[in-house]
Amino acid sequence: MPSFTGPGANPYWNSVGPYVSQPQKSPLLLLTDRGVQLETPRSYFQTAFTPNHAFYVRWHLEGIPNAVDLKTWRLHVEGNVAQPVSYSLADLIRKFPAESIAAVNQCSGNSRSRLEPRVPGGQWGNGAMGNARWTGVRLRELLHAAAPKTGSLQIQFQGLESGAGSEGYGSHFFLKSFDLGDPVLDECIVAYAMNGEPLPMLNGFPVRLVVPGYFATYWMKCLTWIRVLDKTDDNFWMKTAYRIPDTPRGNTTPGDVKAGTVKMIPINRMPVRSFLISPDGDAKIPAGMPVQVRGIAFSGFGGVAKVEVSTDGLKTWQLARFGEDFGRYSFRTWEFTWTPKAPGRNTLAVRASDSAGNTQPDQPVWNPGGYLWNRIERQDYFVGAAE
Amino acid sequence: MQLVKRYFALLFGGSLVIVLAAGLLFAQVKRGNYAPATLGQLQQPPPATLTDDSVYQVSAYQLYPAELEEGEGRAETESFCSLCHGTRYITMQPPLPAAAWEAEVTKMRKTLGAPISDESAALIVKYLQAHYTPDTRKQ
Repeated sequence: MPSFTGPGANPYWNSVGPYVSQPQKSPLLLLTDRGVQLETPRSYFQTAFTPNHAFYVRWHLEGIPNAVDLKTWRLHVEGNVAQPVSYSLADLIRKFPAESIAAVNQCSGNSRSRLEPRVPGGQWGNGAMGNARWTGVRLRELLHAAAPKTGSLQIQFQGLESGAGSEGYGSHFFLKSFDLGDPVLDECIVAYAMNGEPLPMLNGFPVRLVVPGYFATYWMKCLTWIRVLDKTDDNFWMKTAYRIPDTPRGNTTPGDVKAGTVKMIPINRMPVRSFLISPDGDAKIPAGMPVQVRGIAFSGFGGVAKVEVSTDGLKTWQLARFGEDFGRYSFRTWEFTWTPKAPGRNTLAVRASDSAGNTQPDQPVWNPGGYLWNRIERQDYFVGAAE
Repeated sequence: MQLVKRYFALLFGGSLVIVLAAGLLFAQVKRGNYAPATLGQLQQPPPATLTDDSVYQVSAYQLYPAELEEGEGRAETESFCSLCHGTRYITMQPPLPAAAWEAEVTKMRKTLGAPISDESAALIVKYLQAHYTPDTRKQ
């Protein structure tokens, strides 16, 4: 593999880094080592649920916890509330009903290396995503117990990560916020289990926020402070970073950005995407042999309605068969039987539509943050003679 | 007699076809192609040593530092950028235009508060532009 891609788009499914080892993880693809950013290899997406040991990792600051003492660790609900409350992990497990949801966690910058012109940032291929069954406590219950005062506007989340920068800078703390009235808060879970196991430290032990349908930037890892604010959060991670153009698909041009004419808003729900996982194109297929083409699809806008495959360069589309339904925010597996007729290079394309009526387009996306890529995916196959 | 001759001709011809076919078949199945590989680049981690107390701990996160290109300004780039993050943040990037590298260094200083003097920043920008743009970057 090359050591980097560019200035053109990354042509590979994953990013190009080497396999590396990190605690509690199988070998994953290295983006950066300090802070830790690791990408999940394509082969782990053959199932609806991504194993914890292969789940991608993305931290912002270098001060990542190596140890948490649950004797002293507490989840604090504080700020503009009548009754500040602190919970131990045992409190969260025992005092509240356990809620579970299957939900996709996808990095805002997943597939950033596809954009042209290329933009700086984590040069992810397609593997900055994963699906897990998350179990924990409803955020609304924790908030309700603390009784936010009238005049409260936002709710801010902070985890255990910190950086070398001075206080007040984004390089010091990583903080994310929602409007208190945002309906997504009704679906949020403070999760202490991931696929029925404790969270790996690199994925946010002991608890992380789960925001179904939203990009992972809001899914605070090692969540420790839930803060009710009486003003709008203007910290770097809300005001400057993770912002998208307020345009269809978040699309814009370098020229418009330079001219300063683009209105930017915080990133939010994940657009519909589908991926072709196997076969991965690394082996020839004999002409005339039926093969099972498999993949996954998801949408942050309420469930995948259909997945279609094209074998003729996007001219016609055929329905793929769905695998088991684990809920509207989960990966949905799909399968398609394809019998290549003649030897040569064949390209398959896949597109998904969600229940809100969005269908993946074939047009690329560009914005300065490198977010929201959801163009139709293609896979080349070499078909060989069978006699 | 005629019949016997034909029988031998057929037998001979048939055997020839079988021998040729076997030869072709043999030529089409390659066997035993091995090549030397590098062992131990990625070590299997030992099992964790755990205790039954309330502390949940993982071993040290592994550093895989990137080697930056040789050149004037490398030492400043390495030491200042490493205050907050590893140098892989540089080598991971695609080749970026000169203006983009200047913007990155400005963002680190002004927006994220990196304590880098104007003089050092100028040196770092010059170094990044000399080695990490579409025109200057080497695989």
